[in-house]
Amino acid sequence: MATDTNIAPSREFRDEVMRRGGADVARCYQCATCSSVCELATEANPFPRRQVLAAQWGLEERLAKDASVWLCHQCNDCTARCPRDAKPGDVIQAIRGIAIEKLAFPSFMGTLVARADRTWPLLLGVPLLFWVVLLGASGSLTTASLVYHNFVPHKFIYMVFFPVTGFATVAILIGAWRFWNLLGKGAARSGSFLAHLVPVLADIVTHRRFASCGQTVSRRWAHFILVAGFVLAAIASGLIIPAMYVFHVELPIAFWNPMKLLGNLAAACLAVGTVWLIMNRMDHTGRTGKATGYDWFFLVVIAVVVATGALVEVERLAASPRAGCLLYILHLASVTCLFGTFPYSKFAHMVYRTLAMVHERMAAPAGSSNQSVL
Amino acid sequence: MERLGLFLCTGCEIGKAVDTGGFEKLAKKAGATVYAAHPCLCSPEGLATIEKAIADGTVDRFLIAACSPNAKPLEFRYHPTKVAVERASLREQVAWTHKHGDEDTQLLAEDLLRMGLARVSKLHLSKPPSEAIDRTVLVVGGGAAGLNAAKAAADMGHPVVLVEAGERLGGHLATVKTVTPECPPYETPHANRIADLIGSVERNPRIRVLKQAMTKAIDGQPGQFSVTVAGAAGEETFKAGAIVQATGAKPYEAAKLAHLGYGVSPDVVTSGELEVMLSERKVLCPRTKATPRRIVFVQCAGSRDKDHLPYCSADCCATTLRQLAAIHELHPDSECVVVYRDMRTPGQLEHFYKGVQERTGSLFTRGVVKQVQVDGRLEVRVTESLLGDDLTLEADLVVLGVGMVPHSADGEKIRQHLDAKVRSEKGDSEVQRKQAAQLAEELKGYEGTEILHLGYRQGPDLPVLSNGYPDSHYICFPYETRRTGIYAAGCLRAPMDAAQAVEDGWGAALKAVQCIAALTRGEAVHPRAGDVSIADFFMQRCTQCKRCTEECPFGTLNEDEKGTPQYNPLRCRRCGICLGSCPERIISFPEYSVDAVASMVKVIEVPEEDEEKPRMLAFLCENDALPALDELASRRVEWNPWIRIIPVRCLGAVNIVWIADSLSRGIDGVLLLGCKRGDDYQCHYMRGSELANTRMTNVKETLDRLKLESDRVRIVELGRDEFGRIPEIFQEFAGTIERVGPNPYKGL
Repeated sequence: MATDTNIAPSREFRDEVMRRGGADVARCYQCATCSSVCELATEANPFPRRQVLAAQWGLEERLAKDASVWLCHQCNDCTARCPRDAKPGDVIQAIRGIAIEKLAFPSFMGTLVARADRTWPLLLGVPLLFWVVLLGASGSLTTASLVYHNFVPHKFIYMVFFPVTGFATVAILIGAWRFWNLLGKGAARSGSFLAHLVPVLADIVTHRRFASCGQTVSRRWAHFILVAGFVLAAIASGLIIPAMYVFHVELPIAFWNPMKLLGNLAAACLAVGTVWLIMNRMDHTGRTGKATGYDWFFLVVIAVVVATGALVEVERLAASPRAGCLLYILHLASVTCLFGTFPYSKFAHMVYRTLAMVHERMAAPAGSSNQSVL
Repeated sequence: MERLGLFLCTGCEIGKAVDTGGFEKLAKKAGATVYAAHPCLCSPEGLATIEKAIADGTVDRFLIAACSPNAKPLEFRYHPTKVAVERASLREQVAWTHKHGDEDTQLLAEDLLRMGLARVSKLHLSKPPSEAIDRTVLVVGGGAAGLNAAKAAADMGHPVVLVEAGERLGGHLATVKTVTPECPPYETPHANRIADLIGSVERNPRIRVLKQAMTKAIDGQPGQFSVTVAGAAGEETFKAGAIVQATGAKPYEAAKLAHLGYGVSPDVVTSGELEVMLSERKVLCPRTKATPRRIVFVQCAGSRDKDHLPYCSADCCATTLRQLAAIHELHPDSECVVVYRDMRTPGQLEHFYKGVQERTGSLFTRGVVKQVQVDGRLEVRVTESLLGDDLTLEADLVVLGVGMVPHSADGEKIRQHLDAKVRSEKGDSEVQRKQAAQLAEELKGYEGTEILHLGYRQGPDLPVLSNGYPDSHYICFPYETRRTGIYAAGCLRAPMDAAQAVEDGWGAALKAVQCIAALTRGEAVHPRAGDVSIADFFMQRCTQCKRCTEECPFGTLNEDEKGTPQYNPLRCRRCGICLGSCPERIISFPEYSVDAVASMVKVIEVPEEDEEKPRMLAFLCENDALPALDELASRRVEWNPWIRIIPVRCLGAVNIVWIADSLSRGIDGVLLLGCKRGDDYQCHYMRGSELANTRMTNVKETLDRLKLESDRVRIVELGRDEFGRIPEIFQEFAGTIERVGPNPYKGL
């Protein structure tokens, strides 16, 4: 390239990368071992070597519009082979975390969640307090009942979750819009968004990209099951509304009702996926890289949602109203937290990575293979 | 009275390969009076046979027809002052490499015996030089390498004189505060401990330190150098046995780097100038006197650049790392950017690089700095950067990592200048005087650059090799120069860092001490270590052609006013290059002479043309080509049986009369197999193979005179490790000879 760029290194950005998990970024000496083992590296874009150098130099602008940061599925093949132990996988992870924060709307939420290692009591505590106050004020707390819809009337659920999901949706859409524009500055695109979205969704459904992860290939199925759990849960929740209001199904729904079975299957998938991913991350061989508090936050919230949800159901069978209600409050609070932090936690990768994958296809020169080759 | 013997070994398959029945008769015919065959000549009984013959006085010279001279050197060890011995490689060149029982194999073995016997009957007993040897080591230059050389030589019990031109010892190292790390964990710079070394040298009773002193004359030969030093306290003359030159290096002239802004902006400085700032513990932009916000280090400034220094100076990368650490300590807010071609941090310095990267947060990128624009703030233009673009970096201070230039003097050029000056006045013709005056003008820059002031005809200083470095520049011969007994150490020898320079002092001191020890025993130094013979000049026939004085790689020969060569045996390495150069063939060694080799050529049986068995002769350099051939033999690889091999001391030690003799005897082709020449030469005498190549023009003239094809003589360069090529070389040469046809001189 012959562009004459006046480079303005930024120490602040580099410090931020180091603080957010890329602590060893300064060690990199640009040998490009990482690029030679990375599926994503091309001749023109030696990923992640050049991105690690940009992180060293604090070239934030350049990284913000770089889709390859998001195409990375963090297999950590680079980290495993790095002769300087600079952990490129962790560096790229940190860059993604910073990007989520910088894209956030409103920005204070991004900052709050970005510091989840310290702010987690607040992020979980506020929804909990909210529910306690709401139920306390409505008198539900004193009439603890195992008929949960008596304990927490459905209108409360709608009152809380419709605004929360609505807010999260608006926030992530704003983030997505910002992100899409940034990517457009990085590389020109052509073709229709939807036409390119279809193969991307196919990639996501099959988790095909995970298959090429060397170090952490087992994550493919852990992540797959987790995603499947979310999808099944969404379907089950979606079905329940017409069931209640159109078909007037009696609550609680019978155990053998297909809808209930679907919900339980979703819960089982979420539980298996979460535990599997947690175990993966606990792997002490260093293969998975170092997870920061921010990384853990998302997974832990899912774990709390799944655990409390399952226990609520078990409690219903065991019939201990007080414990059941307490768990139910915890469950509602954690779900609120999960939805509320969606645009700011690692959860947001669902949107950003998908966009980056679509961008990659739209930016690829016509006729070229959609997969990067070394 | 010659009492010639042949001791034949029939072991190691020799007895199976050839019919030894006729060998006794062959020996008798060649003049041998003693013949003994033994199934294992190197066994105690076999060796006893030889010992008994020597003790009885029945032999004073003999041929051992067994294995290669490179094999069993301890078993077959006879003192050249007592008996003359020659070896014929019946094992390597016959039994292991040719068809057993074949007619060609038999003829080959018989030729080898005849050649060996002919040669040994022409040898003389060696008379070693017995001269008084001074044990003093003279060290020129008191930097890191010189200091440690002086200390090392003194520790080995030698008196040392250390001559330093400056007011203080320590050289470049005395000007820096820190050095690159020398022990684990190698991550941060270390304190400079040169003061300790200076102290230990100054306190050492065996070392005499002469400061502000220069060598004014060094005459004579190793072991007996007469050294005159002019110093603050006047002149003095003393004897020295060997010399270590450690005159160091100076930084490359940054004024030549205007494109990098040097001399254009005061804010562009060299790493040396930054070092001065660091020693004052204040790094400020020279122009504004402000603390620089951003400092850009330009590595390889004028290095690895064909327009400036073509080589890597080895220390600049580590120096920059050291300076980054120092700047970080003084001004942690100054941002440092390093633009490098390759960060070269060999060995443990890799940890230093990593440590400095982590500790200082300095930014690094590979790139080529094309220009430093001076326009208010400095702008460093970088191409081919790892960031993927051409970059412009603004800077308040630019530091040029300039390389080092050896502080050497080009002895040969100085002499050329002096000769030209003399010729411009006393030349034979006006044209000659004019040309000489022009040459003298061209070489004027060399006037007065002498450092050692050697009394050598070839020039007053060490001849320089590539890029002004006087070292032999080959991995096998570190510290060696083209002057016996004078060794190069430190940055004069090769670009290096402080730790290496200190180590280099040790190495050169060991060579100097080794040289003095060898001379004391009357022996030659490397590579003919242990050789006690010296050359003999039959002066009555000398024509003062000066070829020997000019061609000796070691400046062994001086000359008087008439140009008569004057041999300095203690400078001599016994390579025989003078013997190869002499058109009058008046130079010979007791164990190696024109006559001895010529007599080998004479006894080779050349079959008649109609037998269709060509004969080829190969002169093999004993340093690499012959051991390579033995290596090949140990792998039992067969080669052409029509080739006869004569080992020589060096390709430069081949007198072309041998080639002429061979061809006029009907031998179809002559092959010369020796070390590589050129910039990466491997010649153990530096110039031998190069000279052989030059002399080939004379050979071509001889061939023309004999009306022979020039294809009949060929030089092939061979590395010690390239033994696998030998059969192919032989076969290809045989093919050429077949194409050219038989030598018309056969049978004449």
